[in-house]
Amino acid sequence: MKSSRGILLSVLLVPLACLVALPFYYIVVNTLKTQPETAAQPLALPTSLYLDNYIEVFRDIPVLQSFLNTLYVTVLSIAIMLLIGSMAAFGVLIGRGRLASIVGVILVIAFVVPGQATLVPLYRMLAGVELVDSLNGLVVMYACGSIFCYFLIIGYMRSLPTELFEAARIDGAGPFRVYWSIALPLIRPILVTVGVFQTMWVWNDFITPNVFINSPQKQTLVLQVYTAVGEFTTNWPVFMTLTVIALIPMVVFFVFAQRQIVSGLVNGSVKG
Amino acid sequence: MADVATTQRPILVEPTVMAPRVIPRLRRRRDGFAAAWFVLPILVVFVVLYLIPLGQSLYYSFTNYNGYSPDVKLVGFDNYVRIFRDSSMLSALGFTLAYAILTTLLVTVFAIPLALALNRRFVGRAFVRSVFFFPAVPSVAVLGLVWTFILSPLGSGVINSVLGAIGVAPIPWLADETLAQISVILVAVWAQTGWHAMLYLAYLQSIPSDIFEASKLDGACPWQEFRSLTLPLLTPAITVSQLLLLTGGLKVFDLPFTLTHGGPGFATRTLTQSIIENGIAQSDIGKASALSVLFLLAVGAVIALQLVLSRRIEERYS
Repeated sequence: MKSSRGILLSVLLVPLACLVALPFYYIVVNTLKTQPETAAQPLALPTSLYLDNYIEVFRDIPVLQSFLNTLYVTVLSIAIMLLIGSMAAFGVLIGRGRLASIVGVILVIAFVVPGQATLVPLYRMLAGVELVDSLNGLVVMYACGSIFCYFLIIGYMRSLPTELFEAARIDGAGPFRVYWSIALPLIRPILVTVGVFQTMWVWNDFITPNVFINSPQKQTLVLQVYTAVGEFTTNWPVFMTLTVIALIPMVVFFVFAQRQIVSGLVNGSVKG
Repeated sequence: MADVATTQRPILVEPTVMAPRVIPRLRRRRDGFAAAWFVLPILVVFVVLYLIPLGQSLYYSFTNYNGYSPDVKLVGFDNYVRIFRDSSMLSALGFTLAYAILTTLLVTVFAIPLALALNRRFVGRAFVRSVFFFPAVPSVAVLGLVWTFILSPLGSGVINSVLGAIGVAPIPWLADETLAQISVILVAVWAQTGWHAMLYLAYLQSIPSDIFEASKLDGACPWQEFRSLTLPLLTPAITVSQLLLLTGGLKVFDLPFTLTHGGPGFATRTLTQSIIENGIAQSDIGKASALSVLFLLAVGAVIALQLVLSRRIEERYS
């Protein structure tokens, strides 16, 4: 009875999963084909190993430049938002009382406000200080992410025994020492989880670079794929190759961070 | 000396009583001071990136500010009235609402059974789980671009070429208004179902299995078990998932923009696209700000409503 139901699920879900995966198979398989081949038989396997599309993409498109741009923005943004978020959580925890409740209320407001509601004034503000069309401008925009970090980090910190911090205080360590050498190492697991989620957000974000970046040499990877569509609408295999190249970093990241993503989903959702 | 002793006694007694109180109070004050420094950066983020722009959005929504002219006049609710007379904004409002509601419903309807299936053992489970989750990994914008090729109205789009092989004429997936709307919503469901199924699965796995064993001993049939046991236990997950889907749906921009550019016509235009085009490209700050304010109110209302509803449901079950 039990095994027959298992077989039923396999028969039902494995083909369905293949169907769900078909778009990915489609773009990967076509990067290895010539243009006429793609048009004639879009779903067939390539008849021979054809790598010209990859050569063409790396020759014609500054993929490496946009990869480095994205890396710069992502690393800097994540470091800043984790620092701001964890500092705030630590401050609220040791401050208690009125400060904590004021900060809590303020940040709930920020949590509800969608980015779109502040986009136009922020664009004007950044234009005023010449941070439009600048990678550092993107980093400033992503500092908004510190609020999400704060909520996850304080949730985690509250689950830790407070004696850990108290003990350090009795030993005479100042609050900054306690934060840096006791609190931060203790909250490493949540920093990793939040960092992974925020990395996926910043790396994949399209709306912010699309609004704030104009120069081709300052494009992020996702924005570059988008602008390339206009150039390659007639040459599908080349566009698909660019897409596959753009997907690789995130897939590699996912493979390494999978455990954090899944456990973050479990912890974040079960607690929330 | 006796006098000294009597006057000294309270002093001697007091420190032992006061000591535990005074020191923490001092420490608390010092901590409070330090705490303020720790909280300062996030307050700066809040003021600069949230409070000031929100205030500006609200103020500009009542003015005719266009970004250049220094002559800014208060125009009352004119901008709000203009929104409801602008057909592109109205269709953006309509499509965004339809998108948010339909993706929420469809993703939930597919994700819960998928999670229940993934909670059982079967051959190929790891493969199925990974494949369904995978669309959550790359950028949604890139996925939108991939689908433009799959849904291409030309005969060379995959779906049309497959249909052509069995003798069906090419279907204008993204060129027809209704078909484009359906396509965008279905691609969104494809992209999000696996992620939400994982969320439900995480909840299912945190439910102690003896609860289900007990219900089996009581002779509950699968449907009864689902309705009166699994579903109520999943309520917190449903709340989280629907909140994310609804607010995410209202905020949507990437997928419709990369898939259809909001077209054909204004069929798949979203509110976010309207805000960006009016506020940044056309510099009609007043109108874009009014739309931003309405957008904020709508998102706030959805969140409040969702929280009230889910609390009611949780109360009914518990």
